[in-house]
Amino acid sequence: MGNVIKKSLVGIVIGGILFGATNALGFPFVFQVLFFGYAMLGAVVFIILDLPPLKPIGGVKAAGALVVFYAILSVAYIAGGAVWPQFDPEDEKGKIDKILKPKREQYEAGKVEVLLQRAKALDEKAKELTARLQALGAAQAPADQKAGGAAAPSATTAAASGDIAKLGEEQWQLQECYNCHKLNGEGGKKRGPELDNIGNLLTAEEIAKKILDPKSYKAEGFEKEFEKGKMPDKYKDLMEPSDVQALAGWLAGYKNASVNTPKPIKMK
Amino acid sequence: MKIWQRCLLAMFAIVVVLGGVAYAQAPSAPPVEFPYTGNRTAVWIVAQLHILFAGFILGAPIFVVISEWLGYRKQDPRYDRLAKEVTKVTVILYSMTALTGGLFIFVLLATYPQFTTWLINHFFLIFAVVYPLLFIGETIILYMYFYTWDAWKGEKKARHIALGVLLNLIGSITLFVIDGPTSFMNTPVRAEGVSPAEFLATASLWDKVFNYSWMPLNLHRLVGNVTFGGFIAGLIAAYMFMGSKKEEERAYYDWMGFVGNMIGVGALLFLPFMGYLLSYELCDYDASICPYMMADQLSMFFEMQGAMVGLIFLASNYYIWLSMKRIEGVERVRMTVIAPIVMVLLPIVMTKVLTDYPVPDATSLAFLLPLLLAPVILGRFIPLTVSSSTVIKVGFLMVVVGNAIWMTPHGFVPTGAKLVAELELPSDWNFLALMPAKNSAAFTLIFVTVVNYVIYNRAVSQGTIVWGKIDFASQFVLVFLAFSAIWTMGLMGAVRSLLRKYFHAYNLLPDFTAESFTPTLSYSAWWITGITVTFFAVVSFAIIVTLRPSDSKGHAHEGSPVPAGAK
Repeated sequence: MGNVIKKSLVGIVIGGILFGATNALGFPFVFQVLFFGYAMLGAVVFIILDLPPLKPIGGVKAAGALVVFYAILSVAYIAGGAVWPQFDPEDEKGKIDKILKPKREQYEAGKVEVLLQRAKALDEKAKELTARLQALGAAQAPADQKAGGAAAPSATTAAASGDIAKLGEEQWQLQECYNCHKLNGEGGKKRGPELDNIGNLLTAEEIAKKILDPKSYKAEGFEKEFEKGKMPDKYKDLMEPSDVQALAGWLAGYKNASVNTPKPIKMK
Repeated sequence: MKIWQRCLLAMFAIVVVLGGVAYAQAPSAPPVEFPYTGNRTAVWIVAQLHILFAGFILGAPIFVVISEWLGYRKQDPRYDRLAKEVTKVTVILYSMTALTGGLFIFVLLATYPQFTTWLINHFFLIFAVVYPLLFIGETIILYMYFYTWDAWKGEKKARHIALGVLLNLIGSITLFVIDGPTSFMNTPVRAEGVSPAEFLATASLWDKVFNYSWMPLNLHRLVGNVTFGGFIAGLIAAYMFMGSKKEEERAYYDWMGFVGNMIGVGALLFLPFMGYLLSYELCDYDASICPYMMADQLSMFFEMQGAMVGLIFLASNYYIWLSMKRIEGVERVRMTVIAPIVMVLLPIVMTKVLTDYPVPDATSLAFLLPLLLAPVILGRFIPLTVSSSTVIKVGFLMVVVGNAIWMTPHGFVPTGAKLVAELELPSDWNFLALMPAKNSAAFTLIFVTVVNYVIYNRAVSQGTIVWGKIDFASQFVLVFLAFSAIWTMGLMGAVRSLLRKYFHAYNLLPDFTAESFTPTLSYSAWWITGITVTFFAVVSFAIIVTLRPSDSKGHAHEGSPVPAGAK
């Protein structure tokens, strides 16, 4: 017991030092707590190292101990998963709906087309059967059998409403461009260039070209990223032309000369 | 289970595979809706269970054959017994693999009929011909391997080992083949300037299989399966140790637990590199996958992974610590003082070097190799030594430090979009959240574990192991390692699958269902735990059913204290 108290005290002292040091260095409170936690983990490890040997058990007792042990592990891992900050799927659901909307419409339209084709084929089969029955001299077959029949709802296209800036910003969020590019001082992890002055360097058409074909322009200082193809070559397949135009138009409006947006070099 | 029952089960699995293919060709039926779990989670549960069983039956035979070969070479019957006992459990779990595989196809076809049809059509040759043939071949070889064990002894042993090698060969090919469609869903074949759908129309089957993440996934799963097999062997040993009534049985299962753990940990040391290779290829395929994994929706999954890996390394080193205690004369073992110094310096120096010379710049090796080799080279000239106990304790300290570095995030937020200054690392300390620091942390854990095994081997060569006298707590450590390793497999399996985002096949075939969002870590942890517990319930049952009757049978005497150097 003395050992446990001694090591717990050492853990608390080291944890306290780490807490104070991280506080002095300007770490947010949550990190101070985290470092204190690491010190306590260390204390627990060293307490366990010097625990006296466990007395052997067998039979039902061992089985019971195992069940309890599994229960503890299960609760610990479920709780462990719950203590970290949780991503809210609701934030993503709306985004996904918007991104997939045009594709869903195409898909639904495709499905209707397939149904119409099937209905047409059935109709032709029915006509053929009627003709055969008539040829055999049978009674008048029920005419004009039509499978399906319901008019296909016309495939709706995404109506681009609202101003272009709003749509462009929405695309910036939907495509998660902020993960690689900094804009308005937010986002970016140096994977891609900061874009606050892009409007002074490229036109909306040129920006659209870069989005659709990432190999068309290379940003100065990002040669390695360009060679590795860091900017995904997928937006021409994922985005609607109107969405690309909206995003490019919105970005072209950024003309903040105080930000050092790297110079784009035309490659294609 | 008798042979005819097993054959029937294997036939059932084949019928399910072929039936699934036929079903996929039938006109589309309305998809079902699973109550409570929803369709995606239902598929997740069945798929993960299938992968766990499959992982074991593919991983266990690798070290079973190695163990059998070691037994043959060293003329040590314990290795042969270990190999046979693990094979017994493998045979039972093979049936479970077939059952869950069949269930997986049924659930997939019922819940996502259009996607399943699409996937089967693209890999028709694999699903309808290659995979069933390999499955049949593996079934035949596995049962031959098991049932010829006693008949092919003595002079015929080499023949039996060769059969085991063939079993592993077929098993590995089966894994590689089925990894084709799996990896294709993450990184579908593509070409520059052509849309994925257009390119897919002209791509050959080989193009589809040999995609960006195929080989990294093969390697990752292969090493992961060996780790898995090793830890399950440790689990078997722990159960049997707890149930043993005789000293000699306890001695044998103590030894088996040690061997299983050593194989598990040995393979585990390579897993971070394999995982790194896989994520490197995924990021290379599409750079937007990287932030999604590390900085956005899945970032906290990686925090949990860091915690789990840290716990696994702590537990495996604790097992060595307990193992050392049963070596008579261990107190005499000493090591150069350079070793603990390098342990302490490693995360600091490595972070600095890898920041200045990032991977794959080989310049970093010019700094790191001399540091790593310093205990071996400088240790010869500097006579200062410390006790093994001190080295191991410094090692534990560094495992905690390494784990702390691994787990320190850039920000305490679930997505980069919600990052605010109050939850973000100060900019001067941001290096703690970057890859050089994370790699250094991972390498520190590996280095400490290797040093601990070196100390253990030194203790073995200088002292006497008293098998069976290990602290009883060690058996719970073995159980903990198996449970935690499998839980982590489930977590990372979920991550790999979720990387497809709202696509069935990334950027190619969208998932229009309402469930195509990133679930929370908390929700995922519930299901991963549920799946792991279910898997453990079945495995525990299989161990008890297959190995309990052997309790009464006589075995070779391995219980008496064995001179450490003895074979």
